[in-house]
Amino acid sequence: MADAAPRFEEALAELEGLVQRLEKGELPLEESLVAFERGVNLVRLLTQRLADVEQRVEVLLKTEAGKLIRRPLEDEEQ
Amino acid sequence: MLRAGRAPRVLSVTELALMLRSALETGVGTVWVGGEISNLKRPASGHLYFTLKDKQTQLAAVMFRSAAQVLVFQPTDGMDVVVRARADVYPARGSLQLYVEAMEPRGLGALTLAYEQLKAKLLAEGLFADERKRPLPRWPRAVGIVTALHGAAIHDIRTVLRRRWPAATVVVRPVRVQGRGAASEIAAGIADLNRLADVDVLIVGRGGGSLEDLWAFNEEVVARAIAASTVPVVSAVGHEVDITIADFVADARAPTPTAAASLVVPDAAEVADGVARADAALRRALARRVSTARERLVALDRRLGDPARRVRDLTLRVDELGSRAHRAVARRLAWDGRELAALGARLERAGPIARLASARGQLEAAAGRLRFAAAMRVRHTRAAFERTAAQLDALSPLACLERGYAIVRRGDAAGAVVTDAAVLRPGDAVALVFARSRARARVEDTEG
Repeated sequence: MADAAPRFEEALAELEGLVQRLEKGELPLEESLVAFERGVNLVRLLTQRLADVEQRVEVLLKTEAGKLIRRPLEDEEQ
Repeated sequence: MLRAGRAPRVLSVTELALMLRSALETGVGTVWVGGEISNLKRPASGHLYFTLKDKQTQLAAVMFRSAAQVLVFQPTDGMDVVVRARADVYPARGSLQLYVEAMEPRGLGALTLAYEQLKAKLLAEGLFADERKRPLPRWPRAVGIVTALHGAAIHDIRTVLRRRWPAATVVVRPVRVQGRGAASEIAAGIADLNRLADVDVLIVGRGGGSLEDLWAFNEEVVARAIAASTVPVVSAVGHEVDITIADFVADARAPTPTAAASLVVPDAAEVADGVARADAALRRALARRVSTARERLVALDRRLGDPARRVRDLTLRVDELGSRAHRAVARRLAWDGRELAALGARLERAGPIARLASARGQLEAAAGRLRFAAAMRVRHTRAAFERTAAQLDALSPLACLERGYAIVRRGDAAGAVVTDAAVLRPGDAVALVFARSRARARVEDTEG
């Protein structure tokens, strides 16, 4: 996922906003079409993100010197 | 007083004290004794000095710091306790004193008492107050977990987090959750996870166990660490019946680690449903917007038809005016024959009939141009409308209907479109409009 992509909740909030504006029916037709296309793109993005994600599991360790180290949790550690 | 010959052996005071001490040691030894604490003193040395008494008797007692510091509860005046002690003589003052090695409250267990005491203390400080509880984030980037790396708790939490919201990173800070030192490890773990920028919520807990097993979660250092956490903390200790001090301080309390995991992340399945609903709402709203636009176009077309009619009306009026003028002039000519004779020549030259004829010619030419312009405009507008209508057709709700959607209207097929079941009552007649047909139906029930 690119860093520039909106966070999931931001994309979801934008989608909800678009639905509300479209449902009010006050947008000019041209803008309605733009909002619709943007909304459909967001739906695609959100659906894809929900499907794609694999959970990262890390373990936080502390060295003798008190330094914190994060590293992936290996399966054999469980 | 002293009898001759048999002088008794005279002891020194110290010797006697030592004899008494020895007698106490062999004759009494270490005993368990119950009584009430009074006159308790706790100087800076850390030793505890108090009097142990019952109704008739009291004995001085001391509990040295090494023994006192392992007490989980705080002894107080008036507390009914059982102590393990040996009696001894304190030589410097020649007084008898109990040297207390262990102490337990009578009635309650020591842990129960300690629990009640800490609970009362933190409650008085306001650490359990509802105003201190922070809301849990809806979309945590990372979930920090303070628990044992190999316990059932971590397994349960990970299973739920993976199923509900795999987008959140899981950061486990392994700690011992029972035994000596566990409480300070848990407290340190909470502080460590607070230093990670992406950790938005913490779960602190372990699986169920006895009061002793869960004890670390009843210690003050853990309670303080939870209170000091800058991110919200969910406690997940044991099962329903065990409420620990950590549970009272935490921002949310879950009865099990599984429940805690459900609290801290959204459910991907529900979110996906929401996205699907938004998708359907988008398509519905656009279809409605397009059909509104279509209705407006039809109305506009009707209004655009008007200029052509006005040209026709105007033409008729011009014709009528022309013939009226003609008749009026003819009447006047017939009315006065003399004047007719006098005016005849003038009329011939510049008579109204000639002017009228020329005006009529002009009018007809103008009417012709107007008709042509109006016709052109109507044709042009119609062409534009047809292009737009063709675009609209591509987005038409009919296209949706073709795919199996139906429009619900109130009453009959000409009624208002129903977009929300809230406007319907059981028994209402509705019409279902399909792509090429329609059906009449009656509402049985509504919900939502």
